[in-house]
Amino acid sequence: MSRVLIVEDEAHLAQGLRFNLQAEGHEAEVAGDGEDALARLVEQAEHYDAVVLDVMLPGKSGFEVAETLRKKQNYVPILMLTARGRAEDVLKGFESGADDYLPKPFELAILIARLEGLLRRSVWMKQSLAAAPAKHTSGAGVSEGTASEEPTRAEKDTFSFAGKSIDFGELELRSLGNTIHLTVMEAELLRYLVKSAGRVVSRKALLGDVWGLHEDTDTRAIDNFIVRLRRYIEDDPSRPKHLQTVRGVGYRFVAEP
Amino acid sequence: MRISSRRKAIALWVSLGVILAGVAFAVGSGWIILNWREGIKVFLGIIFFGAITAGLVLNTIFLVREIRRNEQHDSFINAVTHELKTPIASIRLYLETLQRREVDEAQRREFYQLMLVDTERLMGTVEQVLKAGAMAQRKASRQRIPIEFDSVVRDCVEIARARYHLLPEQLDYRDVRTPGSMQVLGDPEELHTAVTNLLDNAIKYSPQGVQIGVDLEMPDDERVILRVRDRGVGIPKDELKRIFRRFYRVRQRGRARVKGTGLGLFIVRAIARNHGGKVFAESEGAGKGTTVTLELPRVLAEELSKQAAAESRRTTA
Repeated sequence: MSRVLIVEDEAHLAQGLRFNLQAEGHEAEVAGDGEDALARLVEQAEHYDAVVLDVMLPGKSGFEVAETLRKKQNYVPILMLTARGRAEDVLKGFESGADDYLPKPFELAILIARLEGLLRRSVWMKQSLAAAPAKHTSGAGVSEGTASEEPTRAEKDTFSFAGKSIDFGELELRSLGNTIHLTVMEAELLRYLVKSAGRVVSRKALLGDVWGLHEDTDTRAIDNFIVRLRRYIEDDPSRPKHLQTVRGVGYRFVAEP
Repeated sequence: MRISSRRKAIALWVSLGVILAGVAFAVGSGWIILNWREGIKVFLGIIFFGAITAGLVLNTIFLVREIRRNEQHDSFINAVTHELKTPIASIRLYLETLQRREVDEAQRREFYQLMLVDTERLMGTVEQVLKAGAMAQRKASRQRIPIEFDSVVRDCVEIARARYHLLPEQLDYRDVRTPGSMQVLGDPEELHTAVTNLLDNAIKYSPQGVQIGVDLEMPDDERVILRVRDRGVGIPKDELKRIFRRFYRVRQRGRARVKGTGLGLFIVRAIARNHGGKVFAESEGAGKGTTVTLELPRVLAEELSKQAAAESRRTTA
């Protein structure tokens, strides 16, 4: 059983969501606005396994709530809900730190599937946290500690280059003893770029394949993500070596330049 | 993201306009000072540079206005999107829940009730958008029949009490007129909409508890006056006129943000004007409640019969 916080000011939606999550066997609570949600998550440091976060809230918006949580180093998985479904809104949601995103009106089955996905991930994360001490003494990127529990996933989901290692399963990027926590979307974008290493990928392809947004919109919105990834993986983000811009086309990932 | 980049663009063009206006003014003044002895040059200079400066100032003002309107339109689209999609999301959620899960009878009833409320809300938004569109185009009401305005108001008050579950003293209706018929000429449906919108607003913007007074007055033979007084959030003085513009919404702070499309009072004003009347708001400021007054021209029974006679003469001729 997981504990889920629903942050939604529309009473009917909140009630319906709570009913369904409880029917799925979770413990569900409702916070009516962003301030209430932050009070529970940050000030009272209550533990939740996931947060369903509406964007258009009275007072602090969902974007602000997600940003504040991440700033306070709270990485509780966030599923964002919003009536605004334009590509830029979606990207803004991910940028503020959401892990997944659903436009309103959503399909109940999809909402539950996505939420279960996030909850599974948080279970993995807990397992890897428990195994973390053993892993760090062993040094390199391969996580032997979790191998006994989920061998295939742990082995498959890492990628190393130029002294850095990305662990897609645990959403971590490790370099020289430094560990950076990635959001799900950052990890997904990195994974896609790594998979097509050496090839140029267009912004539109990224938007379509990573975010599932097939729209004719301002695809430059993706640049903010690239800037952030560069800050993680480049020695000098203003002169990128791994994550190169190809003028007028898109981006190219090069593991060993 | 988009708003802030637009803000930057605005700042650039507005400051360019201001600087150009300043330069034109300075050059003009310089010209006048340098040539102040030569009458004709000074005269031409004043006219010429005056025209340029005035043009630039006007241009900047219109630019700012246009940008504001644009922003309001944006926030309107956002608000309407939200107001349309939220009830749909809720209805869909409950329908899927009923389809998917075992729900006991009491809960099932409750879900139906919630869906009905959401349907009403959806209907309200759609109606408002459609009405605002129609109002913006129509010059005068099509239908003009004599209506007892007090019965329209009484109707609306009854409906509002029922819809928002209000006690009679919370939505207090008082008829403080001198005896006599309260007839106006107009479209009953439109007048109904106008009064309902005023009541809805008063209720919506009273988050700390509804305490509304509805007064009907007839100060003279010419006018019928409806006053709706609430003790809600109030309106800052400088925004009292703007609230009747299309899409305009008072900027709200804090938690108790009220949702809406910014069309309600615009529709009221359009209806008032269509009927030859007017509407205005008064407030002591934020937090001190608001009084909205709707004034309509009254028609006397004698005039009506005269009009009817003229009408029948015209039709027989």
